[in-house]
Order: sequence, then C-alpha cells, then structure tokens
Amino acid sequence: MIRFDKVLKAYGALEVLKDLDFSVEKGEVVSIIGPSGSGKTTVLRVLMTLEDIQGGTIYVDGEPLNRMDVNGQLVEASKAHVRRIRAKLGMVFQSFNLFPHMTALQNCIESPIYTQGLSKAEAVEEATRLLDMVGLADKAGHYPSQLSGGQQQRVAIARTLAMHPEVLLFDEPTSALDPEMVGEVLSVIRDLAKSGRYTILLVTHQMGFAREVSDRVCFFDAGKMVEEGVPGDLFGNPRNERLRQFLSKVLEAS
Amino acid sequence: MNRIGIVVALIAFLVGLSVATFAELRVFLPAILRGAVVTVHVATLSIALFLLLSVVAGIGRAYGAAPVRWLSVLYIEVFRGTSLLVILFWMFFVMPEFGLFLSPVAAGVLGIGLNFGAYGAEVVRGALAAVPRGQTEATIALNMSAFRRMTRIVLPQAVAIMIPGLVNLTIELVKATALVSAVTLSDITYAAVQQNQLHFRTVEIFSITLMLYYCLAQFVRFGGAALEDRFSRHRARRA
Amino acid sequence: MDWRWDFTFEVVLPRIWQAAGVTVWATVVSFLLALVGGLVLMLLKTHRSAWISRPATEFIEVIRATPLLVQIFFLFFLLPEVGITLPPLTTGILALAIYNSTLCAEVYRAGFQAVPSGQWEACVALNMSTYRTYKDVIIPQSLPPIVPALGNYLVAIFKETPLLSFVAVAEIMQVSKLIGSEYYRFTEAITVAGIFFLVMSLVAAFLIRLVDQYVKRSILH
Ligand SMILES: Nc1ncnc2c1ncn2[C@@H]1O[C@H](COP(=O)(O)OP(=O)(O)O)[C@@H](O)[C@H]1O
Ligand SMILES: [Mg+2]
Repeated sequence: MIRFDKVLKAYGALEVLKDLDFSVEKGEVVSIIGPSGSGKTTVLRVLMTLEDIQGGTIYVDGEPLNRMDVNGQLVEASKAHVRRIRAKLGMVFQSFNLFPHMTALQNCIESPIYTQGLSKAEAVEEATRLLDMVGLADKAGHYPSQLSGGQQQRVAIARTLAMHPEVLLFDEPTSALDPEMVGEVLSVIRDLAKSGRYTILLVTHQMGFAREVSDRVCFFDAGKMVEEGVPGDLFGNPRNERLRQFLSKVLEAS
Repeated sequence: MNRIGIVVALIAFLVGLSVATFAELRVFLPAILRGAVVTVHVATLSIALFLLLSVVAGIGRAYGAAPVRWLSVLYIEVFRGTSLLVILFWMFFVMPEFGLFLSPVAAGVLGIGLNFGAYGAEVVRGALAAVPRGQTEATIALNMSAFRRMTRIVLPQAVAIMIPGLVNLTIELVKATALVSAVTLSDITYAAVQQNQLHFRTVEIFSITLMLYYCLAQFVRFGGAALEDRFSRHRARRA
Repeated sequence: MDWRWDFTFEVVLPRIWQAAGVTVWATVVSFLLALVGGLVLMLLKTHRSAWISRPATEFIEVIRATPLLVQIFFLFFLLPEVGITLPPLTTGILALAIYNSTLCAEVYRAGFQAVPSGQWEACVALNMSTYRTYKDVIIPQSLPPIVPALGNYLVAIFKETPLLSFVAVAEIMQVSKLIGSEYYRFTEAITVAGIFFLVMSLVAAFLIRLVDQYVKRSILH
C-alpha cells in the first residue's frame, strides 16, 4: 500500500531521512517508535505531502506520489495527480488542528462537501454517524474551544474518517493530552485498528498500546529504520543496542 | 459603563454651556454641525477606500506573485513613510500637473485612503501570518483546494484577528479627517477655527469640537466591538 | 508635467533645508517632553487614589480619541486668552508633547504589564527591595517591548510636525507651501518635502530595527 524507496529528506544540510526504505502492506497496522528528533513525524509529513522530498520516491497503492507516469516517463506530479493520491490518505495531528471558527459538525462536513461532491444533507448524515462513533454525538454543535483536548482529538479523527481514506496517519495523537484523556482517544484508535478496514501508521510513545494494536513495530533512529518486527519480538527480544537503550529509558520513565 | 458615563457627563456639560452662552451657541453650533456633515462624508468614503486597499495590498504582499508582491511593498512603504498632510497637498496641488484635477473631496478621500490603506495592509498581512500553520496543514490533509483553504479557513480566522487593528486605524482615520481643511474642505475643524475667529469663544467652541470627535471615535469603537463579537463567537470559553 | 531643476536647486532645496532644522528640532524636543510626560501620566493613572487615577485616565482617553490638529488650534487660541503668549513653535511643540505623552503612558504601562506576574512573585520570594526589583528585574524585561514602540512614536511625531504649518510655524510643509504661493509652482517644493519625509522615515525605521535587535540581544540573550 505504501512504499518509501530511498527517500531523502533534508532541511538545508541536515538530513532528516537518509535513503529510507520502508513499506506498509494494505490493512496492516504499523507503529513507529524512536527517540525524539529521529524523523518519525517527518515520515508522516512527507507522505501527507506537507513537505517535499529531495530524493527517492514514495509509492501509494503502486503509484508514485510526487511524480507521475506519462508515457512511461516519470515527471513532476500535477496538482490533480497529487490530490487524487492524497484522497487515499488521512492524517490526525498531534495538536488536532481543528478549525476553531467551525463547530465539530462543520469541521467534519467542510471538506467532504467539496472534495466528494456530497450534498450537505448527505455530509451531515455521515458526519453525525462518525461523531456518534467516536462518542461525541451530543457535541456536534460545539466549537473546538468548548471541547476538552480528548474530545477535540476525537472530532479530528471523525473529520479524517469523513474523507474515506484508506490509510490513516497518526502523529503522537495523545501527546498533547492530559493523562486522563489519553484512554478515550486510544480506545477510538483501537477500534479503528481492530476493524481491519484501514491501513494505519501510528507514531507513538505509548509502548503498551503499540504492542497491543500493531501488526508490526518499527524503530527509527537518526533518520533510518534500524529495526522492525512483530511487537512480541521487538519488545521482548530487541537486537539493536540503540533500541535496547531506548526501551530501557522509556520503561524507566513509566 | 465608563464610556457611557463620560458621554453623559459631556452632554450635561454641553447643556450647561448652552444655557450659559446661548446667544453665541445659536450662532456657531449650526456652522460646526454643517462641518460635521462634511467630516462624516469624507470619513465614510475614506474608510471604504482604506479597507479595500488594506485587504488588496495585504493579501498582495502576503501571497502575491513576485511583481504583485513588490508593487504592494512599494505602495505600503511609500504611503506609510510620508506624512498625510504632504500626501494631501500633493494630491491637490501637484496632481493637476499630471493633468488630473481632483475635487477637494476626491483629493481628501484619496489621500487619506491611500495613507491609511498602507497601514491597514500591514495589519491584514500580520493577521494572515497569525493564522497557525497547523490550519494550513489540516486543509492539505483534508485535500482542500487552495481557493477553499483561503476563503473558508484562513480568511475567516484572519478577519477575527485583524478587526481590533483595523478598528484602531479607523479611529485614527476619523481623527485624521481634521486635516482636510488643507484642501479647502469646510469640515468640523475648519468650522471651529472660523467660528472662533468670529466669536472668540475658544473654550466653548473647542470643547464642543473635541467632544464631537470623541463621540465619532466612540461610535467607531462600539461598531468595532460588535463586529469583533460577531467574528470571534467561536472563542467563547467553555461555559 | 514640467519640473525645473534650477528652481529645485536654487530656491526649493536651500529653503527646505533650513526648514528641516525646525522640523527636527520640534520632533526631538516634543519627543523628549513626551517621554517624561508619559511617565508622569502613567504614574498618575496607576495612582492608588481614584481622585488622581480617574481624571488622569479620562484625560488620556479624551486626548487620544480627538485629533491632534484640534488640540493644536485649541492651545494656540487658548493660551493668549489666559494671558500666556508663546511663539507658535513653542505652542506647537507643547501640543505635540501632550498628545504623545498620553501614547507613551500606554506604552510604559503595557511594558510593565507584560512582565509575567511570576517575576514579581519571585522577587518577593527572594526578599528583594522594591528598588532592586525594578532596576534588576522588571525594567530590563519591559524594555524590549517599550523601546521599539517609543521609536515608532518618534517617527510618528516626525510625521505629525507638518500639522504645525496650520499655525504658521516655518517647518518644511509651511515653507513648501510658501514657496508654492510665492512662485506659483507647487510641484517641486511639495515633492521635495514628500521625499524628505519618506527618506527620513525609512532611515528611522532602519535605525529602530537596529536598536530593537540590540536591546533584545543584550537583555534577553
Ligand atoms: N521545518 C524544519 N526545519 C528544520 N529542521 C526540522 C524541521 N522540522 C523538523 N526538523 C528536524 O528534523 C528532525 C526530525 O524531526 P521529526 O521528524 O519531527 O522528529 P520526531 O517526530 O521523531 O521527534 C529533527 O532533528 C528536527 O529538528
Ligand atoms: Mg514528532
């Protein structure tokens, strides 16, 4: 479903992703862990086309994301191409990024109406269903400023699902939350992971949760994927020295 | 509350004055009120031009392609850098040299509008820049077009941010209309000076003049506060 | 359009150059007065007694909400009536100073308020004297917002000095008007005046940025 082929991302001289090879199968739930600054967020951001890359190719569903095939030649992707591919991806941000001047419901219908050509009634019906699914049916008319962090993040998840993406990207979705709200957001993500309907890429520091929901866990360090494996192996029997250090530090803290 | 108290006190003061100096008041008040009509007329037109230029040059500087951006910067720097009175004289005395004869009202409105539009453009640009980056990123993740991103997400939030700054500039603009007597318009200030030279009632005439401007400024402030409420309803904190 | 360079160089520039001295003098003196006046007004406004703070607050409000030009005329006509005869330039400088001291008062107040309350509390907890608290903690932290704001007011005063031409002070604007009506040629004089203001403002804006950066660097590190 997703394949990074020798992807290079640099800010000036600072190489953040170094010839990264990495892929995710359709329907797979993959967690990315690693120390701060190792490039985890960057992986999601280049995939979501929030940043461009300096080398390599990213494939989504077999099609290159940043280039396109014209008569057998790869050329710079057109806007239409990028938007078509991007429609398969949905992203949930660490800081929610809800639109503050719109209610929860308006946040969820804004884009579907214009990108999927739904009528307003259809979009509202779908958004109401999704808000209900994340347990916020009664908050549809509330503005983000009237919601708690956990509620805002659940609205953000509903907003993303309303786009009908095939791949869900989560960037530390609970890092900006007070501890007592982490559970409600994780439980929504758990349901999505269990449903088997989505390919999921999850960046997280919640090792227990990663272990529980992931098919595979990847450890990133300094812009490279250093180790990957099924959760039991990776957490139970880490081979890489850096991974061992990282895990012991994280466990010490919790 | 505070402001309403002041306005009430000033009106009481005016009534007291009119009792004390009734004869003169009847002579000079109508002249000053005729001046007020001119002031309001010029101010209204100037505000319209000022807002238009603020938005156009502000967006031009923030998002325009290179030539548009440079043109906006040039306009903003030139008209912020000079003094309004110089601009007014230039409009009125030098423009005819280019074959462009402006009526006094046109010269006044154009000068004031161009001058304040340059300041307003910076307010608009600042407001656009103050919309958090995450908002743009969310629109990309939601696959919105650049046009919808601008009209539905960025501008509505920027408007809420720019209102206080634009309201302050509007108040400054109303005060600045006092300069239009330089291009031969008989506004409040002109009428006050003229009436004072006829009647020598400096305290009364200028107190009333100051109060008229003060009321106009409060009027703008109330309107601005209402607009601000309207555009930042979403900021209401949790009840 | 016809622009005469000989006229520009022989008549306009020398006379405007002289007038520039008046403009700069008026700017600097009223700025210095406003700096002090602003401090006084801020102290009055934040005074414990409402009998002092209320009138000060209202005075600031009214001065800020009304045109400087009207205030100039008011002073210009009022002072002789109460028996004070001053040259127009002095009256003008006084009006500029009063108007801008109300603005400076707000700048000072905002600057002190911007220092987080935790800083005051820390000073109390460290048992510092009021003098040390202000000198070593509060004032240094309030300077970064205050300095650029005051710099902007210096430029604003500079651009307000043409208003003195309304009471016949021989500053740049008045002189270029006089040249215009003497020779029936306004183009050169008014354009030169405009360019003078533009260049001075741009230079001033540049200097303010330098000072601003210096203050930020030397105080906030
Ligand atoms: N806009 C940027 N400009 C320069 N450097 C950046 C930028 N964004 C991220 N970086 C750098 O890229 C590296 C990886 O960042 P990130 O992917 O956010 O790490 P993680 O999410 O794993 O903590 C860090 O060293 C960070 O400082
Ligand atoms: Mg990160």
